[in-house]
Amino acid sequence: MSGEAENREREIRPEAAGEWELPSTVHDLSVPAGGDRAYAACLDGGIYALGLGDGSVELLHRHGSYASGVHLHPDQGLLLSAGYDGLLRWYELPTAEVVREVRAHDFWSWQSALSPDGGLFASVTGRYECGGYRYEPAPEREPSVRVYEVATGRLRWSFEHVPPVESVAFSRDGTRLAAANLMGEVRMWDLVSGEKVAEWSTPDFTGWGIIKGHYYTGGVFGLTFGPGDRSLYLTGMGTTRDPAAGNGRQLWQEYALEGEGEEAVRMTGQADEDETGTGLMESLAFHPSDEWFVMAGRLEAGNWNAAAFGREDGKLRFSLNTQSRLTRAVFSEGGKALFLAGGVSQDGPDGEGGFRPYGRLGRWRWEGA
Amino acid sequence: MRPQIPSRTPDCGDPEHRRHRRRFLQGLAGAGVVSTLSWSGLFSAPAFADQARRAGKRCILLWLTGGPSQFETWDPKPGTETGGPFRSIPTRTPGVHFSELLPRCAAISDKLAVIRSMRTGQSEHFQGISLLQRGADERPPFTRPTLGSVIARQLGRLDTALPSFVLLDPCPEGNEFKAFKAGDWAGWLGAEYAPLRTGGEFRLPDVDRLAEIADADHEEREALRAFLTRRYAGERDSRAARAHNAVFERARGLMQSAHLFDLERLPPRDRERYGPGAFAQHALLARSLVEEGVPFVMVANGMPWDTHVFNHEIYQMVVPELDNVVYQLVQDLEERGMLDSTLVAIMGEFGRTPWINVKRGRDHYSKAWSLALAGCGIRPGVVVGETDRRGIEVVGEAYDEKNLFATLFTALGIDPHTSYDLPDLPDFHLVEEEAEPIREVLV
Repeated sequence: MSGEAENREREIRPEAAGEWELPSTVHDLSVPAGGDRAYAACLDGGIYALGLGDGSVELLHRHGSYASGVHLHPDQGLLLSAGYDGLLRWYELPTAEVVREVRAHDFWSWQSALSPDGGLFASVTGRYECGGYRYEPAPEREPSVRVYEVATGRLRWSFEHVPPVESVAFSRDGTRLAAANLMGEVRMWDLVSGEKVAEWSTPDFTGWGIIKGHYYTGGVFGLTFGPGDRSLYLTGMGTTRDPAAGNGRQLWQEYALEGEGEEAVRMTGQADEDETGTGLMESLAFHPSDEWFVMAGRLEAGNWNAAAFGREDGKLRFSLNTQSRLTRAVFSEGGKALFLAGGVSQDGPDGEGGFRPYGRLGRWRWEGA
Repeated sequence: MRPQIPSRTPDCGDPEHRRHRRRFLQGLAGAGVVSTLSWSGLFSAPAFADQARRAGKRCILLWLTGGPSQFETWDPKPGTETGGPFRSIPTRTPGVHFSELLPRCAAISDKLAVIRSMRTGQSEHFQGISLLQRGADERPPFTRPTLGSVIARQLGRLDTALPSFVLLDPCPEGNEFKAFKAGDWAGWLGAEYAPLRTGGEFRLPDVDRLAEIADADHEEREALRAFLTRRYAGERDSRAARAHNAVFERARGLMQSAHLFDLERLPPRDRERYGPGAFAQHALLARSLVEEGVPFVMVANGMPWDTHVFNHEIYQMVVPELDNVVYQLVQDLEERGMLDSTLVAIMGEFGRTPWINVKRGRDHYSKAWSLALAGCGIRPGVVVGETDRRGIEVVGEAYDEKNLFATLFTALGIDPHTSYDLPDLPDFHLVEEEAEPIREVLV
């Protein structure tokens, strides 16, 4: 039996292995090797250190608006964060002292990414401003994609895109950067030359409102490169007549990158309609073995809000419903555990006038048969 | 719901009424009116004294269907558990902050009045729209006219080519708003005071005179129709005929004024200033229509403010558009010397929850919400009422739809406690229960 055929028959049986609460919805998560801690960027602006053993929650710092990104540097001595205040921050560990702050954008950092070697820090932004009678997005007012050198904080690249740009990812070898926007437009750049090496568009993640309002919503909320950087995976929500209802199809698409230029990019796979419900999907993560990838988000209608798919055939292998919104799926080093982070509804004040914690982090023991 | 009209109304079952009503509604449909219209008001005696018809007074309602979030507009709570991602910014009014999404409104806050202490009783769209459009709870089988219909009745003139109530709404859908739009706007005031709906896909159809009919032929036909009408009216007292004639005159008026509804005729520079979106373009059209003498223009755009999903992602776009529209509109009216005679109301049917749901959205909230007014009869630069630190409850006195309607009518010089003159109907008033206007926002 070939390796690929063997993969298709392997089963996975994740088992719940811990759940933690945070003060507010988690937007991003970073889990160091060793697995006894996690860092979370949360909706209340907080960058938190979570003790997975004792459940302790320590506020390290707070952005002036929602925190959107948190990344532990590979050397484990540096933490980086991004926020809707447009700021990028560097923290020295273990003190969590802020050692650098950069104003990257005039608007939100929607998403950020750290290159695999820890050398570059990318952030994407863009306000959706009305640019036409049908509320087509107006051109950007500032570069939508910025890439900084981690060591110096120096701006290495500014790239143009059509705002709002909602997702960004480095290639596994760190030589390319991909970013995608509300309108399903994907652009990719070479990080050595700064040249744009690919640009294509998919209409499948964006909805133009007919039922409630005449505007666009949705977009590509998650990006990740596939094995060998030979493909790029996109996730979000399928198109719908009422995007404000959040009821587009749970969707991922795979694009093969076979050279350079738009012609070289072609869609080679997508979520099977029979295996999906509806809801916004926000995160994609490959298992270290590359046998599976996980898509996670929020369920509107259907059976699951996190699911694992076989990399070879794209078929659903395992799914679960966390009864929450998931914003980030992260595998532990070695792939023994899957972390799913997000939150539940904030809801009104409790009996004492406070708000209950509504950030959630779950850990699943990942076992392949 | 269609009212059960008392027996002396045309819905009494008389076949003549049914036949003429059918033709009448067909005529309305041909003129672009899509509402289901009440019949009874056509035949009631004039309800109000002429002095209530305040010369030159107008009203533009920027109707933010779906329920705009007070947090991302007039009552920001940055840095709190409920505040969302946007900051607040200072305004020209000392101590008053708006959302950072409203920088242009902040620059003209001295021309606006903001009410932060609205508390109403309906938090579902259809009921909420009805409440804030009619100013009172539903009382079946009677259908209270909407604000626009009342103002059209109070400030409009039937002897003009212009409609008295124009609804500009380029989005044909809108969930519950769509259902409301298909209902009875004018209630017991009758069909003359229902809105003329246009905008976007709802262009005025069939208002151009056919090319093969010469001017002289057209006039001759009208003379013959008028002669036959007079003779018919002289021989019998037919309510249906009178109604038919009233609508016929309106249709003639539309033929003469159709050019006023054409976005393309608006000055390109103005169109650019207002912004490219459908809502902005129709707000500019509203300005143009009130300049021409239309007493009430309502601008909507489907139900874009209903952000159960993607609240912040959508508001980053729609609020700045509103910000610019309000700024341009108020500035334009002032520069044209019309602000003192034109009331601008910026509101929806309720606000949105302080807390964020799991879909990144805010849900309906009627316990503590905000709106803004400007212009005719409104004291500029005031903020009335407040909410608690997190925007959950109104602190101090709260105001409801009756207080609001009393305020709007008073600002326009209309006695809010006037009774309707409605034979065979219970005693109704423009505003019930003698509710007081919100004095702090009145000049």
